[in-house]
Amino acid sequence: MKYTWKIGGEAGFGILTTGSLFSKIASRRGSYIFDFIEYPSLIRGGHNTYDVTISDTPVHSLKEGVDVLICLNKETYVLHKSKLSSTSRVVYDPDEFTPEEGVIRVAVPFTKILAELKGQVIMKNTIALGASLAIFGADLTELLSIFETQFKKKGAEVISMNQEFAKRGFDMVIQNNIKDIIPALQKKESGKKIVLNGNEAFSYGAVAADCRFYCAYPMTPASTVLTTLAAWGKKTGMVVRHAEDEISVINTALGASFAGVRSAVGSSGGGFALMVEAISLSGITEIPLVIFLSQRPGPATGMPTWTEQADLLFAVHAGHGEFQKIVLAPGDQEEMILQTIKAFDLADVYQVPVIVMSDMLLSEAHKSISFEKIADFLKTYKPNRGKLVATAEHGYKRFAVTDDGISPRLIPGDPNNFYQANSYEHLEDGHTTESDIERIKQVNKRARKMNGYLTSDFILPTVLGDLKQAKTVFIGWGSTKGVFLDAEETAKEKGLSVAFMHFSHVYPLSKEKLSPLFADTTKKYILVENNSEGQFGKLLRMETGISIEKKVLRYDGRPLTVEAILAEA
Amino acid sequence: MATLQDFTGYAPTWCPGCGDWGIGMAIKTALVEMGFTPSSLMVTFGIGCSGNMNDFLNAYALHGLHGRSIPTAIGMKLANHALPVCAIAGDGDCYGEGGNHFLHACRGNHDIKVIIHDNRVYGLTTGQVAPTADKGYPSKSTPSGIIEVPIDPLSLAITQGATFVAQSFAGDLKHMSEMIKAAFNHKGFALVNILQPCVTFNKKNTYPYYMQRVYKLDGTHNPQDKISALQRAMELHEEKFPLGILYETTRKTYHEEAMNNVATPLLSQARYTDFEALSDEFV
Repeated sequence: MKYTWKIGGEAGFGILTTGSLFSKIASRRGSYIFDFIEYPSLIRGGHNTYDVTISDTPVHSLKEGVDVLICLNKETYVLHKSKLSSTSRVVYDPDEFTPEEGVIRVAVPFTKILAELKGQVIMKNTIALGASLAIFGADLTELLSIFETQFKKKGAEVISMNQEFAKRGFDMVIQNNIKDIIPALQKKESGKKIVLNGNEAFSYGAVAADCRFYCAYPMTPASTVLTTLAAWGKKTGMVVRHAEDEISVINTALGASFAGVRSAVGSSGGGFALMVEAISLSGITEIPLVIFLSQRPGPATGMPTWTEQADLLFAVHAGHGEFQKIVLAPGDQEEMILQTIKAFDLADVYQVPVIVMSDMLLSEAHKSISFEKIADFLKTYKPNRGKLVATAEHGYKRFAVTDDGISPRLIPGDPNNFYQANSYEHLEDGHTTESDIERIKQVNKRARKMNGYLTSDFILPTVLGDLKQAKTVFIGWGSTKGVFLDAEETAKEKGLSVAFMHFSHVYPLSKEKLSPLFADTTKKYILVENNSEGQFGKLLRMETGISIEKKVLRYDGRPLTVEAILAEA
Repeated sequence: MATLQDFTGYAPTWCPGCGDWGIGMAIKTALVEMGFTPSSLMVTFGIGCSGNMNDFLNAYALHGLHGRSIPTAIGMKLANHALPVCAIAGDGDCYGEGGNHFLHACRGNHDIKVIIHDNRVYGLTTGQVAPTADKGYPSKSTPSGIIEVPIDPLSLAITQGATFVAQSFAGDLKHMSEMIKAAFNHKGFALVNILQPCVTFNKKNTYPYYMQRVYKLDGTHNPQDKISALQRAMELHEEKFPLGILYETTRKTYHEEAMNNVATPLLSQARYTDFEALSDEFV
């Protein structure tokens, strides 16, 4: 069974911390979670909510509706009561308001407890966490130990005070509502699970790939990659530079990569736009670079804290002139770790910029995943740096014309040589040229690199369900994978004849490899995207000639839902 | 030991009489005299007549984008601080298009040597005004004279935290190479602003113009004295140009502060592999 827990309150009052603690505790008790935060672009004021869906089996998107609603204020109830059913538990402060009939009321006198224990308003969260764990049949073991670690430096008094608030919330439910408990969070044995969001997954992948330099300028929803990697710097040795602007960001990273160090940058659409000229520089100088692009609704400032997939065509076309790049769009946290690692390898092997796309949904939603697969992969993983060399024969040519288009890349410092990486069109040795013959040689050399990618490294979409039998096939990319996985499960339960194709390798696309997947014209193909124009559909048509007419598009800043997708089946 | 010839690439395409010839020779002379080879340093170039030195000077080089020679140099230094790093750019390149990078690089005290060809005009795009031009200077893009007052690069560098600020003149080869050597010997962000006549497009700031207005700083100037350095720098507004080290101080460099282990260049450090411990943050 899946249950959705939702907490709401005023922005600036710790909703994010409370929600992520609830997710962590649920995971530590052996459950799977998926969570999502909704918040306005403000530091204080406005309404914040945090939803966590918990389940005994892996969960990939939020389950619709609310099973347990924690109201830190009346507004939470008013705004979200439409999502409640007769079995929903509503935690509220009877001194503030009482929910209408038709739900299971769980009274927790927050104000009274605060007054009695002389706590600040923010401690409401702690009371709410205690009550939430009680409602789901958990005990307080994990929460109490988290407080011990979290407040170690602040001393025993702070620890016991926090623990006391949690116990009071917990006891309230046990005393008055024991019959309303949902035993979903009883302790279960499970292997090591990690709870992380897409930005943390990218950060983890970057460290695993031996990225040693990360440069960024803060921009929601990409900023937490910068802060996560900076926080890890003392441990990992990665140098993290918060530069003056995104133009500096990418040029600094290209300088570091030129010098031989794996480097990456990250931003959202606006900051990425400032980087575009230098992406083109990466193209002609063949300096590898990984670019993390976490989308949010645009244009311009748009809706900074909401989600959208509207920068795909921009990413694919970012940069003047014709040059090679690879765009990946991992679908969930596990793919984000593994494909980030792959992105660094691809950048080195093909000596191209590789863009790893995310969006607010994937960047900020947490998901619990098994660590085993990641650990197994990392046991044997060695960075593949392609044709990078530390020494070369005298007379080395940086842009030597080769069959596969890839030239050996010499790390600067070899005492037998020197060379320039040149933003002008160049000869094989790097010197500037305007010769027609040399121009064609270099353009063709660079272009050949993608033949190797399409043959050896392009990955076909993940197919969910029975593609042969299905009458309807949904096509999506990036963060829509989560909702596809859950929709597949629902479709099975409902006996719907559907299948799903999820693309993570979105550019370039192989016509030869993809055409067979779309060969059956009796099927209904439906594009599913979090944007208003169906950008992947356009890209697919441009690259392969495959045209999809039917679309499920959402562009109100909110993630797609299982219901909206299956309504078209 | 490397010779001038070892550093010499293609024959320059600069106009006859251009100040860039002198600057190019001064850079090579300084590099030879310091005992460098083309394999022992990294250089970044911007775009412009100065940036075209990419083909004339042998080194490990990145000829990047207009205005961006400073950030690329910063990245190189952070990745491998064992090699000296030098950014070669023009005044429009570094103080106009890349102005933001310039002032933040001063703040960071990145250990890079910045050599600016300051000719007060855009040569490669055939004669538009540069941000260093005097107010009222007429050009193709400002036929009625430039409205803005000139940028004051030396004062800007001093006030934003540069730890070495010098000025030289393209007509004085020996002085230029001395200043370039001093910049390389300084640990931290070093600016050498070189006053350079553009014989083709700038008919005002000519060799005779500078000959009459430059003067060498002597023993009476104390480069440690920031206020005095600023006073000298601001003589620009009276069309007086001090040559020499205006300001020098010491501060930890950016890479020394940013790196965990400054004893080994980032490039050569051991790979971090404690993935299990790192994942525990997410349990």
